[in-house]
Amino acid sequence: MENKNNAIEVKDLKIRYRCLRKMSIKRSIKHVFKMQKEVFEAVKGVSFDVPRGEIMGIVGKNGSGKSTMLRAIAGIFSPDVGTIDVGDNTVSLLSIGVGFQKQVTGRENIYLSGMLLGFSEEHINNKIDEIIEFAEIGDFIDRPVKTYSSGMHSKLAFSITAILETDIILIDEVLSVGDAKFKKKSYNKMKELIMNKDRTVIIVSHSSETLEELCNSILWLHEGKVKMLGTPQEVLPVYEEFMS
Amino acid sequence: MRRFIKDLKKYYKYALYSTKSELKAEVANSHLSWMWWILDPLLFMFVYSFITVIVFDKSEPYFPVFVFIGLNSWTFFEKTLKNSVKIVSQNREIVSKVYLPKFILVLVKMGIFGFKMVISFILVIIMMIFYRIPVSINVLYIIPLFITLILITFSLSTLMMHFGVFVEDLANVINVVLRFVFYLSGIFFSIENRVHGILGVILLKLNPVALIMDDLRRVMIYQKGPHSMLILVWFVVSVLLSILSIRVIYKYENSYVKVI
Repeated sequence: MENKNNAIEVKDLKIRYRCLRKMSIKRSIKHVFKMQKEVFEAVKGVSFDVPRGEIMGIVGKNGSGKSTMLRAIAGIFSPDVGTIDVGDNTVSLLSIGVGFQKQVTGRENIYLSGMLLGFSEEHINNKIDEIIEFAEIGDFIDRPVKTYSSGMHSKLAFSITAILETDIILIDEVLSVGDAKFKKKSYNKMKELIMNKDRTVIIVSHSSETLEELCNSILWLHEGKVKMLGTPQEVLPVYEEFMS
Repeated sequence: MRRFIKDLKKYYKYALYSTKSELKAEVANSHLSWMWWILDPLLFMFVYSFITVIVFDKSEPYFPVFVFIGLNSWTFFEKTLKNSVKIVSQNREIVSKVYLPKFILVLVKMGIFGFKMVISFILVIIMMIFYRIPVSINVLYIIPLFITLILITFSLSTLMMHFGVFVEDLANVINVVLRFVFYLSGIFFSIENRVHGILGVILLKLNPVALIMDDLRRVMIYQKGPHSMLILVWFVVSVLLSILSIRVIYKYENSYVKVI
């Protein structure tokens, strides 16, 4: 980490999808001597820093490498070229219902999900009551998840990720789940999470209003490259004009 | 390797928890619930004992126990290996959303089938008491034997998991190969007594599962020592294979998400 105030430093990031296509044995024998060299570069040399406590929005049309980059920052796959430095911060990609095992109870799924996100058992023990309360699913918490309605399912999933908080949160499309009331509540909770000044957040969204309301800076990706980086006031109007 | 130990420390609790909940899920779905963990190996033992003793008119001393030991260790090996081939794409939901060292997925499967193996070996002990099989100090050799079995299973399953990501019909091939090895491993016959000459030596010594099975029987029911040197060799091989497989998945696991 070059600058101590930064939570995330991305340098010259390139991510490629190589010819690692699934193939049958017949095809792999055929091709063993002439491996296809198709390489698709989804992110083509992107560099940026996010200072601690900042909220950065990422915009760009579909297929411009936004989600790929988020997943790389979350550590799901590593860069082909360049570096991503998150120091010793904990990172989570806010995603719903990770690793749910439908046959067992909601309570057990909280542990499963939480541990997958890298939290210790004690930490989950401390937070579990808060999660259950926030999810508003009452007695269903001790029933198998397969008996849940889809709304209950996503409410529980949201509560897990929202209440077990990490230093860096990556959000792929602001989540809105449940009925109107829970939607409002979850949106507020998200805002509260995001606004916390110790937390660093990257949001990918197509909604300019949300981004304008929440973000300190906006990164505009276009075909895997940075097209513009600046405050929402600078970037968003240009982006919107470009898209229309 | 340091990374392996660090990851193991960080995720072993998840592995345990996930094993537990998968076992629970299995129970929740069936009428006889956990009874199947006992019935399943028991019934298969009857099937194979029946075929060998009644149909082929062959037998070994304490034959049901003989079959049972072979069957239990084989089932652990086979089920884990088979399940590992498609394990990454089956866990697409998890793998594409959080980072998880992929060998943890194999460990969960090993936990599930290992637990079942423990139950069926408890049944073996009960049967040994029932048949009044004398036991010698050699029975302690089961510890290194099981460790070797676990390492072999882990390394092969991890490698198969890796190739299973890229080669779609690997599962079919594995099925055939495993079935073939099943008949060659001497689960319901003794390789030593039934297959003579060089072929018998090859079958027994070049197939670690057959060797471990044979030695488990020697130390558990026949009061003999195991093939110590051979087991040691296979132990070393399995450690090396495990290291290799861990290296391979650490090198390539990043690209799994891009393929599935």
